Amino acid sequence: MKMSLTVRLAGRNLARNVRRTILSVIGVGVGCAIAIFIWSFSRGAEDMRIRGVAESGIGHMAVVPEIWVDTRDPDLRLAGWRDELETTRGMPGVVAAAPSASTTALLAFGTLVVGVEMLGVDPSVEPAVNRIARAIGEGRYLEPGDGSLTVVGRGVVDQLDVELGDQLYVTLVGASGGIEYVMLEICGIIDTGSKSLDASICHVTLDQLAVMTGRDGPTKIAIMVDDIQTIDQRAAELGARVGEGNTVITWASLVPAMGADKAADDVFNNTLVATIILVVMLGVTSARLTAVLERKREFAVLLALGMKPLQILRLIMLEAFVVGVAGSGVGLVIVTPLVYLLATKGLSFADAFGGDASIAGVLFDPVIYGDMGPWMVPVAFAVGVTATLAAAIYPTASALRTDPTSALTMREG
Amino acid sequence: MTETLVSVADVTKDYDTGKVTVKALRGLSLDVAEGDFMAIVGPSGSGKTTLLNLIGALDTATTGTVDVFGTRLSGLSRRERADLRLHSLGFVFQAYNLIPVLTARENVEFVLELQGAGEERRERALSVLTDLGLGDFADRRPNEMSGGQQQRVAVARAVASRPRLVLADEPTANLDSENSEALLAMMRGLRDLHGMTFVFCTHDPLVVSYARRVVRLHDGVVQSDERKEAGQ
Repeated sequence: MKMSLTVRLAGRNLARNVRRTILSVIGVGVGCAIAIFIWSFSRGAEDMRIRGVAESGIGHMAVVPEIWVDTRDPDLRLAGWRDELETTRGMPGVVAAAPSASTTALLAFGTLVVGVEMLGVDPSVEPAVNRIARAIGEGRYLEPGDGSLTVVGRGVVDQLDVELGDQLYVTLVGASGGIEYVMLEICGIIDTGSKSLDASICHVTLDQLAVMTGRDGPTKIAIMVDDIQTIDQRAAELGARVGEGNTVITWASLVPAMGADKAADDVFNNTLVATIILVVMLGVTSARLTAVLERKREFAVLLALGMKPLQILRLIMLEAFVVGVAGSGVGLVIVTPLVYLLATKGLSFADAFGGDASIAGVLFDPVIYGDMGPWMVPVAFAVGVTATLAAAIYPTASALRTDPTSALTMREG
Repeated sequence: MTETLVSVADVTKDYDTGKVTVKALRGLSLDVAEGDFMAIVGPSGSGKTTLLNLIGALDTATTGTVDVFGTRLSGLSRRERADLRLHSLGFVFQAYNLIPVLTARENVEFVLELQGAGEERRERALSVLTDLGLGDFADRRPNEMSGGQQQRVAVARAVASRPRLVLADEPTANLDSENSEALLAMMRGLRDLHGMTFVFCTHDPLVVSYARRVVRLHDGVVQSDERKEAGQ
């Protein structure tokens, strides 16, 4: 089938001034490339943030007592937690569900004392949701049934001047309000790389914590899902199935500071991309307007011959569409190697963290890896084509204002 | 009896330039009959192009009426006037005004495509060009042709759909006498062969000599309307 003359005309119009067309295409391409790179970085940073939060034992989401959402009281316990745990583990997309509870405690050895946030965990699943539990530097992590054993952070070890096998004297407040004492042996030392985190880590089994505090069960069940894009959906699904008095909240609510950071980052990144696209659009508008003004006579003739304004609009928009598609392609060619590098090598912020990759108690991997995937293709074409078509609106309006009578009054030379 | 294709009655056309109002036509009346080969002549500013704009449905009269093929143009929308131009009128411009990126054949074909012609438009465009002696130039772009050849392509574009009325604005202004004569002979041939009606705006005495009817304008009114006998 032969191409329609309108399509051929659009193509040849673009070829009239090849340099201008190529510059327009490159402009759109660079705009697309910058937008995709920023989004790739932004998605990578979001992934890092969510991973950091989730793998700090918080999970992508968690089942908690409703009252806990407002009070954050560590003494609260999850009603019917065994049923909730079973329900949670049976949900599609759930990779791991780990119950935990915490309390503040004093660890003493000889005359040295240190205050810690003691975490009671299920050792069989905690490493799946908590990178701290995987950061064993010496000894081993807890195992189910480890009644009077504990793992502590390197900072605790340094402050108490202890080593593996030493017995710590633990003091905490029991359920009755009285002081409880217990001896725990160090079976593992955790090295996260974060001095502030390592100085307060102390893990025991959930059963041991229940014995010490007199409160049975966990405060929350931290949940990891297989796809972070489905967190909100999974949270809603699970929320509809948890028992009365319990609720499901996502990582952004569990660590509000991180949720607010994400929202702020999104606004900044999207504003940056919008500004870049606007600048590109102004450039394309200028180029397209020049192209249209140079052809005013032709538009007058075409209108005089009976071409409809809609057909002229289609012609100019078709030209813009071709520039947009080509620019998007160029953008993908430019950005793909860069995103590949970002996705494979990552961008390290270790120096910026100053050797302590934890913020608000959340342990981060100080390297941000860009998100590279099929999403880049539709996004590139959506950005490139939409921006170019939008940039062609004003030039098109200018062409449509051409007075057809000027076709007769125009004189050669 | 020949049909009246165009009827211009007591038409005025004012152009408001901001500071002054220019009266281009001052109560002009004129009929164009089917088969006319008519030259509109007159000094610059006499209203020739304005009259052509009105007959060609490119512009509207300030007062008075313009009827083309029995249709009053003042009652038509912009779109309807565009349709009238596309399907019933042919235009030939002084500056040729071909689309430079299209070949001669494509220039002719493009108008046929706008008219909704199907695949046959290619053959038809080539046929018209061949009839006008441009068969060998069909695949050339305007910048690869002489002024005379370009103007013949412009005529081919104007007549390809066999419009009943062809309006030509100074069609020979950029041509030498040889090319002008060839062009006029060609257009008269089309008139004789297909019964098309031609209306020219011109300063060119050669066009006047070819015309069967000469309308002289002065200060926006018809000063004289002379019909020639065949052979004159």
